Amino acid sequence: MKKFKKLISLLLCALLVMSTLIACGKKDDTQETTQGTSQEDANSTTPTQATEATDAAADNIQLTLGIWPEDTLTADIELHEGYVKTFNASHPNVEVVPAYYKYATDTFVPLAESGNLPTIFESWFTEPQKLIAGGYVADITDELEARGWIDKINPSIKDLLSKDGRIYGIPRDGYALGLMINVELFKEAGLVDADGRPIYPKTWTELAESAKKIKDATGQAGLCLLAKDNAGGWHFSNIAWAFGATLTTEQDGKFAANVDSPEAIAAMEYVKSLKWEYDVLTADPTNEDWGSGFAELGTGAAAMYIAANDAVNQPTQVNGLPVDQLAMCALPAGPSGDQFSLSGGTPYMFSKDATPDQINAALDYLEIMGKAPVVTDDAIAGMKADAQNKVANGVPVIPRFPCWIADDVLKAENDIVTEFGNVDTKLFDSYFTAIKTQGNLRTEEPGSAQDLYAELTKVLQAVITDKNADVTALMKTADENYQKLLDSGVNK
Amino acid sequence: MKAVSNKKLGISKKDISGWLIMLPTIILFAFFVWEPLGESVRLSLYTAKGIRLQEFVGLDNYALVLNHPDFLAAFKNTFTYILWSLIIGFFTPIIMAVLITETVHFKGLFKIGVYFPNIMPGMAMVMMWGFFFRPGDTGVLNILLSKLGIESMEWLTNPKLTIPLIIATMTWKGAGSTALIYMAGINGINPELYEAATLDGAGIRQRVRFITLPNIFSLGKTLLILQVITVFQILYEPLVMTNGGPNNRSISIMQLVFNYAFRDYNYPAAAALSVMICIVLVILSAFYFKLTKSKED
Repeated sequence: MKKFKKLISLLLCALLVMSTLIACGKKDDTQETTQGTSQEDANSTTPTQATEATDAAADNIQLTLGIWPEDTLTADIELHEGYVKTFNASHPNVEVVPAYYKYATDTFVPLAESGNLPTIFESWFTEPQKLIAGGYVADITDELEARGWIDKINPSIKDLLSKDGRIYGIPRDGYALGLMINVELFKEAGLVDADGRPIYPKTWTELAESAKKIKDATGQAGLCLLAKDNAGGWHFSNIAWAFGATLTTEQDGKFAANVDSPEAIAAMEYVKSLKWEYDVLTADPTNEDWGSGFAELGTGAAAMYIAANDAVNQPTQVNGLPVDQLAMCALPAGPSGDQFSLSGGTPYMFSKDATPDQINAALDYLEIMGKAPVVTDDAIAGMKADAQNKVANGVPVIPRFPCWIADDVLKAENDIVTEFGNVDTKLFDSYFTAIKTQGNLRTEEPGSAQDLYAELTKVLQAVITDKNADVTALMKTADENYQKLLDSGVNK
Repeated sequence: MKAVSNKKLGISKKDISGWLIMLPTIILFAFFVWEPLGESVRLSLYTAKGIRLQEFVGLDNYALVLNHPDFLAAFKNTFTYILWSLIIGFFTPIIMAVLITETVHFKGLFKIGVYFPNIMPGMAMVMMWGFFFRPGDTGVLNILLSKLGIESMEWLTNPKLTIPLIIATMTWKGAGSTALIYMAGINGINPELYEAATLDGAGIRQRVRFITLPNIFSLGKTLLILQVITVFQILYEPLVMTNGGPNNRSISIMQLVFNYAFRDYNYPAAAALSVMICIVLVILSAFYFKLTKSKED
């Protein structure tokens, strides 16, 4: 009896070990098994159909769309279902799999390393170089070449998406920073002209004064300044340019930090005065990030916010600001009249595991969406559907930032904007005039922009939480730190 | 014969079944703990594309991490966290435990009461306290203060208060469960000691000082080391409440690891820093085991 018990316990142990090992087995095995069963099922019904299915499967490809809208945006999903119908009419062999993926730094690497990235996905404008360096995204130079798209990408955006002459992504949208304005608050503060349009601040000093008037009249913040994460430094670099600063210099391929220049320090002193002299910021800038800034603007808790044209849906559709209450003007100029707009692009990128066929299918899908540099009937229909969707959801239909430089595309886009325009274009005039001015657009600082932003954000946090902060000393420390990071990173 | 040869190898039949029983656990540990741990040490010595190793670089990643401008701040802060956690967090549960044991009525209610904050999910807790600590007129604490006619405060954005306030919220959440452990310890004290002391005319203060405290002293030592180990790894509280700010005044070493891994995708650097943290924690743990062992003796 005792022996029997022992035998059973041994058997059980062995079973446990086996099951552990099986559980640790490769994923492919399970896939094979499921495929096997489904084929068996098919065999049991009609053998001929099953063989047909396997034959077709050889040619069939799957296109997983990470750019599918999230579940709650039902109108957008309908829009995409329409695109899929058009797409499948010309690509019957492609199975489109919706796989909504919102890029996030904590989920991306596991997805990529396990080979589960969608064929095409959107990323942030900060990410392309990081993703290319990590080998997570596909080189699509050949596919773009075959289509003749390479020369049509806006060159400054192309640089952001390339490494060593190879291209790894295409722009979804280009962006250039401007100043978004909550028209309601400007009206309440009496800062409107005879036609009821807001009077934009033309210089940073004017901005501070307008902000003060708004704060006094409405009790709401004049400006939402970001200082929680790197977005703070990103916005600040644009302010610093207006004050005449260049934060990184380059010589013989080596980068040098230039954060403690008198101009940059003047810009930081200006930001400090927004808190301690004018007191026009939101309650806690150290807790404001890109998204919360739009919430402050959209809900009327802040009157102005540095933001880009590709995010006009954020204050309106996402945070409920009526479409006619949003205006956008050029960023103010500095003391000597310098005025710049930081520009870049939000990319579409492709999984490193995607085959050329899949990449081509994804590019075809973008054509139908009207996001590619081609003007076909499908593309125009796609643009129209997109514009209609924006009108229905209270998102301003305004010209896109030219991320493609193909004239026919620009013309088609402009026609759509004229046809579906749902806002007073004068509210956006100053912005679009500025970014068309020669020398206005500037891409982000070279070297290691994210490290620069991190250092600047720390200084921002210090000057808006400490009235006695020594700006010069802080900027000097930031300069030293940034130089150190440049030397240990890119200057090798 | 066979048994004899097995004995020579130091393995008996009995041992085999023992090993077999342990095998599933050993395999699980190997797969989910030891292998990743070893892999992490290896990763820290290489350059990598993502997490795919590229080139052996020795201790370069360690040098990189140590030279990062945020390292010193994070290092200092981590010890500031520990210091404040000892000042605020160590004695609170002891005081709670002593008071509750001395309570005559509604003991159960108080026990549940102190444990209650522990039920809250950690993330919800820090976000809630985030609302409380908001500076300006919209922060909950400032609204309460204004009702009392007191001027509003800066809370977390005051660099001097950032770490103590974060520790206070952690204590609010964690003190209850530690207090329960102390209560169990106090309940284990022989009641005759108290009776004898009371007969000799000892008041509550003397009873606590001469009976309760000496009896929970060794328990306190153990919990102290455990607390230091936990606070050393503080991450999500400052990450959510302040993102390490203002100007790095609340950044912790673990947040640096987080930034390396999830902001920069620099996994070798993250691994190098983790290995260093691991070494510190191993030393602390060894210390802990020594303490508990001497207690058992």
